Amino acid sequence: MFALVIFLTGGCMIITNNDWVYQKFKDSCNVLFIKGSYRDVLVKVRDKIQEGHELLTHPLSSSLKPNETPYKSIIISENKGTLNFDSVYIIENSIMSYDKFNKNKLINLTDKIIEDFKLIDLTVLESALDI
Amino acid sequence: MKLELGSIFIKDIQFAAESKVENETLYVNKEEVRQIILEDQNFKSADVELAKPGESIRIMPVKDVIEPRVKVQGPGGIFPGMVNKVETVGSGKTNVLKGAAVVTTGKIVGFQEGIIDMTGPGAEYTPFSQLNNLVLVCEPIDGLKQHEHEKALRFAGYKVAIYLGELARNLTPDVVETFETPSIIEGFKMYPELPRVAYVLMLQSQGLMHDTYVYGVDAKQSLTTMIYPTELMDGAIVSGNCVSACDKNTTYHHLNNPVIHDLFAEHGKTLNFVGVIITNENVYLADKERSSNWSAKLAEFLGVDGVIISQEGFGNPDTDLIMNCKKIEAKGIKTVIITDEYAGRDGSSQSLADADASADAVVTGGNANEVIELPPMDKIVGYADVADIIAGGFDGSLHADGSITAELQVITGATNEMGFNKLSAR
Repeated sequence: MFALVIFLTGGCMIITNNDWVYQKFKDSCNVLFIKGSYRDVLVKVRDKIQEGHELLTHPLSSSLKPNETPYKSIIISENKGTLNFDSVYIIENSIMSYDKFNKNKLINLTDKIIEDFKLIDLTVLESALDI
Repeated sequence: MKLELGSIFIKDIQFAAESKVENETLYVNKEEVRQIILEDQNFKSADVELAKPGESIRIMPVKDVIEPRVKVQGPGGIFPGMVNKVETVGSGKTNVLKGAAVVTTGKIVGFQEGIIDMTGPGAEYTPFSQLNNLVLVCEPIDGLKQHEHEKALRFAGYKVAIYLGELARNLTPDVVETFETPSIIEGFKMYPELPRVAYVLMLQSQGLMHDTYVYGVDAKQSLTTMIYPTELMDGAIVSGNCVSACDKNTTYHHLNNPVIHDLFAEHGKTLNFVGVIITNENVYLADKERSSNWSAKLAEFLGVDGVIISQEGFGNPDTDLIMNCKKIEAKGIKTVIITDEYAGRDGSSQSLADADASADAVVTGGNANEVIELPPMDKIVGYADVADIIAGGFDGSLHADGSITAELQVITGATNEMGFNKLSAR
């Protein structure tokens, strides 16, 4: 599969604030770990896109709204090219979507819930990587 | 392909010594249902409860809703590739217990969602408050992984629905409807003057707890393809999507897809309903490109004049929705998209995470960010403690008296993107 080929040839970079993802892929892939929020991940991805990296996975989750999970992992191309306007459009829209959600839902998360959020983020990433 | 769908109306549900249908009442032997659930060793205990329209009952967190059906005549059985063999379904005769449903509940992950109130203001938002529900409350064994729990619960729902559906096998339906899809050539000859319309059904396919299965195949592993509309009525597509209550398509929605029913109702009158294109909603952008390319290609290949596109979920599927719309419009085919909105609590924010000028015919299922108040109910079926961490709830959303302040997105089916709800805008 296309996704897997990119992954195996080292053509991608993962930007994540999920330490489970970092631990799982740090030896096999270029992983940039962000000590910060979901929004911090989005902003770092935007910076990278502006440097010429291409967005490979969608920055928004599907069922989990941005204010429902603290964790996010996004895959971008490892190589830089000319500015990719599709990527710019998607990341800017995603940051706008993120900002309109109420953030007070993520207070008092138990360890179990935090682990579940990390697991969901990890499995969605794995499903993108087809592994 | 032709299917006769026979409805046996159910107006009440009761526990009894023998499971049967009599005088519009569904009698259920509780112990037999428990034993079906406990056949799966992933469950250590199981309880079964009833929830009828008008009762002061709150069901939460709801995972899936399934309508009991049985294949009376014709190849295959309900839920092919999942419970029954991978036979092509959608032809012959199928009986339905119309007005009854199996509802699965469970705490698969810590954060949860899915409320069905059987009375009060919350009941107005969900179609499932109008059904006579058999609710399964299943306790997993200790240490069961989330994905195994999800699968076990999903299958418990199917098996119990099939058990109840069997009760309808030898009954005479109250109403029989016939649905038929001719071959493309036959259809064209029958209605040469009518506009040809297909339905593009988008299926959630994002990984753990966000999946949809077609004849047992995880939709994320499939290219965009075609299916006869009556195949859905026999359970060819089932939901494995446990998150996002308001805009997920439950198995009940797939069985009773309102777009398909409405297109059949107009077939031969105002339009020629050609068939259903099913496509996925994957995480990888290249997958989105590929799948939407195929949707457009198949729509063009079918020679249709228009398509209706329905979505599932919010966020990155908005990108699939817009890609499908844009690429199909670019082929000279008119589109109407059905979606829902996350437009902020006051409804003033941008509704979708993506947009395009070609998406100029849009049906909304409502604003999922709208804040609602749900009064306390006399009885909670499922797990009450999850209200605070339910998606769409927020810190402090569960009040001491049992009432809940939350966004509309907590209610199962409230902003359904097939249009199986009451909310919309004109």
